[in-house]
Amino acid sequence: MRTAFRRAAAVVGAGLVLAGPALAGCGKSGSPSSGSTGPVTLTVNLYGDFGYKPLYEKYRQTHPNVTIKENVTDFDTHHKNLQQHLVAGAGTADLEAIENGQVAGYQSQAAKFENFLDSGVEKSRWTDQKVRAASSPDGKVLFGVGTDIGGLALCYRSDLLKAAGLGDTPEAVGAKLKSWDDFVNLGHEFRAKTPDKNVKWYDAASNVFNAIVAQADKGLYDESGKVIVETNPAVKAAWDQTIKSIQDGESAGLAAFTPQWNTGFQKGGFATITCPSWMMAYIKDQAKETAGKWNIVTIPGTGGGNWGGSYLTVPKQGRNRAAAIELAKWLTAPEQQAELFKSKGNFPSDQNLWKTADITNYKDDFFGGAPVGKIFSESMLNLHYQPLGAHAGEIGNVIGNALVSVEQGKATPDDAWKKALADVKNLTG
Amino acid sequence: MTVVEPVRRRGRRDGQLSAGKGTYALLGAVVLISLFPLYWTFVAASRTNSDIDRVPPSLIPGGNLFANLGKAFHETEMRLALINSFLVASTITISVVLTSTLAGFAFAKLRFRGRNLLLAGLVATMMVPTQLGIIPLYIMMSQWLHWNDHIQALIVPAAASAFGVFFIRQYLVTALPTELLEAARVDGCSTLRIYWNIVLPVARPAAAVLGMLTFMTAWNDFYWPRVVLTPQNPTVQVALSTLAGGYLVDYSVLLAGALIATLPMLVVFVVMGRQILDGIMQGAIKA
Amino acid sequence: MLTDTRPARQRTIPRYQRVPRWHRMDMKVSPYLYIAPFFVLFGVFGLFPLLYTGYVSLLGWRTDTAGSEHTFVGLANYGKLLHDQFFWNALKNTLAIGVISTGPQLLLALGLAHLLNYKLRGRTLFRMSVLVPNVTSVAAVTVIFVQLFGRDYGLINYVLGLFGVKHLDWQAGTWSSWIAISVIVTWRWTGYNALIYLAGMQAIPFELYESAALDGASRWRQFRSITIPMLRPTILFTVIVSTIGALQLFGEPLLFNQSQTPETGGSQHQFQVMAVYTYEMFLGNGKFGYGAAISWAMFLVIVVIVAINLTLARRLRGVEE
Repeated sequence: MRTAFRRAAAVVGAGLVLAGPALAGCGKSGSPSSGSTGPVTLTVNLYGDFGYKPLYEKYRQTHPNVTIKENVTDFDTHHKNLQQHLVAGAGTADLEAIENGQVAGYQSQAAKFENFLDSGVEKSRWTDQKVRAASSPDGKVLFGVGTDIGGLALCYRSDLLKAAGLGDTPEAVGAKLKSWDDFVNLGHEFRAKTPDKNVKWYDAASNVFNAIVAQADKGLYDESGKVIVETNPAVKAAWDQTIKSIQDGESAGLAAFTPQWNTGFQKGGFATITCPSWMMAYIKDQAKETAGKWNIVTIPGTGGGNWGGSYLTVPKQGRNRAAAIELAKWLTAPEQQAELFKSKGNFPSDQNLWKTADITNYKDDFFGGAPVGKIFSESMLNLHYQPLGAHAGEIGNVIGNALVSVEQGKATPDDAWKKALADVKNLTG
Repeated sequence: MTVVEPVRRRGRRDGQLSAGKGTYALLGAVVLISLFPLYWTFVAASRTNSDIDRVPPSLIPGGNLFANLGKAFHETEMRLALINSFLVASTITISVVLTSTLAGFAFAKLRFRGRNLLLAGLVATMMVPTQLGIIPLYIMMSQWLHWNDHIQALIVPAAASAFGVFFIRQYLVTALPTELLEAARVDGCSTLRIYWNIVLPVARPAAAVLGMLTFMTAWNDFYWPRVVLTPQNPTVQVALSTLAGGYLVDYSVLLAGALIATLPMLVVFVVMGRQILDGIMQGAIKA
Repeated sequence: MLTDTRPARQRTIPRYQRVPRWHRMDMKVSPYLYIAPFFVLFGVFGLFPLLYTGYVSLLGWRTDTAGSEHTFVGLANYGKLLHDQFFWNALKNTLAIGVISTGPQLLLALGLAHLLNYKLRGRTLFRMSVLVPNVTSVAAVTVIFVQLFGRDYGLINYVLGLFGVKHLDWQAGTWSSWIAISVIVTWRWTGYNALIYLAGMQAIPFELYESAALDGASRWRQFRSITIPMLRPTILFTVIVSTIGALQLFGEPLLFNQSQTPETGGSQHQFQVMAVYTYEMFLGNGKFGYGAAISWAMFLVIVVIVAINLTLARRLRGVEE
């Protein structure tokens, strides 16, 4: 019997109406007690390996009474569990990580998290976009401190572009990629001139679309929190541009993070990819034979970009909130961020670090000696604030899926667009 | 009636038909199809992540198995997970078999008021998607019973199964002759005596099968454990979700973990399988 | 047996009065005691959540609107459901996948059980092997099958290519995704059902086969006229249980969509079944009230379909167990 699947998927929170008033009490009213010196165990929930284990050792030296336990689950389970546990009023860890693309979905529940502004955290350490995504709409509550960022640049296979006669040096290539129109046109040229016709220009249309839309003044939402997908010309323009490139045969039609995508790296299935800093380690791991064949240039368009990165939050349900806040602040302090950069390659989110020699001098030979420190920090500085809303992540998925359906040849662009709008209405209506 | 020499058809002995070559061929194909994915898991677990999607696919094991297994144990609480899974699955199995034989017997052969209505209710309970209740259930576990992160949160809700009751009932309807029960009644046996001395032995084959299926299902349950347990006190399926963490999953380590998750079941098969599966053969009652 | 030496009057006392009182109590009460453990557990852990969910389905609760957990909207959620194209799409997918994955599977399981019932060399090995699919962890199964069904480098497309068939994008197509998921489900559950049939077959006395053989019946005839009728209760059982399971299918359609947020069931929801749609609305979207209504609707759909199933089964067979 499929009892295993009967246990699957939560739907419907119930009993919260009854438990609701009780829950308000359960949320431990009052301010967190000041840091005690008795033994404390803190749990940290993550969705991947953040490289924190050596840092916990370091923390123990100054805080011998604190024991830290780390839990890792996969991305989807982690965020779904957080959502469920927030609603149920129990079960969150002392520190919960939330990924960049998901954090705006928690803005409406900002009251369920501790406010870092009350603990002396300086907003100016992060860029506007990074701070406001993890703040309540009125800006009074900062519920997440930034850990790392992805930034966004364009990684490309220098050997493949050279073979297609598109440029020998990053400067030459970069000069041809100033705008997204340039990008699409260069892709067209690449497809015409590349000797190996199996190589496409880029991996997935949704990545391109997201990069374009993120640079506009307004994206999926306006400041009042209204969804403007249908009416925002910038969104439609990004869609049309991406569709054009799909119809040109530029997309490899792969889905990020799947084994097929991995193979795409190994086999040189695509010549360019919008890459955040954390993808570098991944490419090095997946496609060792391509060392030195890659290079990186600034992302096309004038608005920079970001993909991924994380925040640490402290839910109010926890029992050791003061200690947890201290740990969260420490883990995201400049010294620790700098250390994680050296040990794990996580690009720091603290913008004061971007001027340090460590970052500005950082180059990578796998990627042809590209000045990655400069490129990624600049992409973050150029990215201006775009209003976000509760369902930003899902709307992005919907449009991404619509693009995939065009890539798969399942739907015409017009059909796909109409369906996407219907989907968005269903999500937010 | 004099015994007539039975017609020799492909050699019958022990009251069973012998299999022909075609049967072996078909079964061989079935075995291949059943085992291939497991074999592929083994191959993938013994290679590296970049090997997984190679074309043509590699079907020969590599040398990375121990490294990957080591990583799987290192990155998760796999030892604890194995113990927990075993405890949870065994307890649920014993409980389900007991409650199912009791209730299955009652529904099959005992007369009581409201029997048909309750039977319909039983079947109806199977139709409730458990998806319907995970959050209320979670609230019960975490706020009222404080069982979250403890394995009793897995065991108690699963301690009785409508599937089990229904299964045993259907089996006993055919396999338990009413005359036997009446004779026992006439001799003055209480219902409990009847259950213990007659029903249980008769139900043994079905109970054994039910036990095995329940154990497997409980072992493989992945959604509810992920919600109510944490990676600090996991079952093996929860531990696997730890291995699937991060943006970019190392599939070879994940599949090594999957191998660890599957092997204990295979061991149980090898040790107990013969008894259980052969026991099925002795089920028929000679009236 | 001893001669009855009791006075004549006692000898004519009706049977039921000769039975001791405790025995009557036992016969009356013990059935209820025996079924109690199940119903009590279900009452606590099954019924209670169910009713709460019903209550929530009457609320307009959504996580993106603070304070919405107290807004009572009556049957508005159910009304919305009726006009929701995505719900009907999910229903369609569920029914389609349900039929494709259940029908052939049960037939295969029956045939397989029949084969496994023979006296075989190494029969325990055969029997254990057919259970291995059910034992292999779900995570592994889906990773493997997604690989096998991969568009560019999958083994199945590779083999099809040897016959000159073009590479299929299994996840993209509607029918292809239905078939792929059904293949996974069939692979996983056929052995399980075969074992259930096998257990049921043990209750069939061998003498029936012997006498049929003596009368000259072929193996196929024996199968049709002895095995299947005697297996009726078991077959009915597997049909109902498999139908319910198919309607509640969740894991395979969810994991077939390998992405970080797999709950859409394909780029155009082509394999989003009801359970996955509820998951999307509830956890993906935070629409608790609406999600509750959908899951209740799902429950009602299951009840209706099983009821239809049962009436059909009774009509066709015409025999009460």
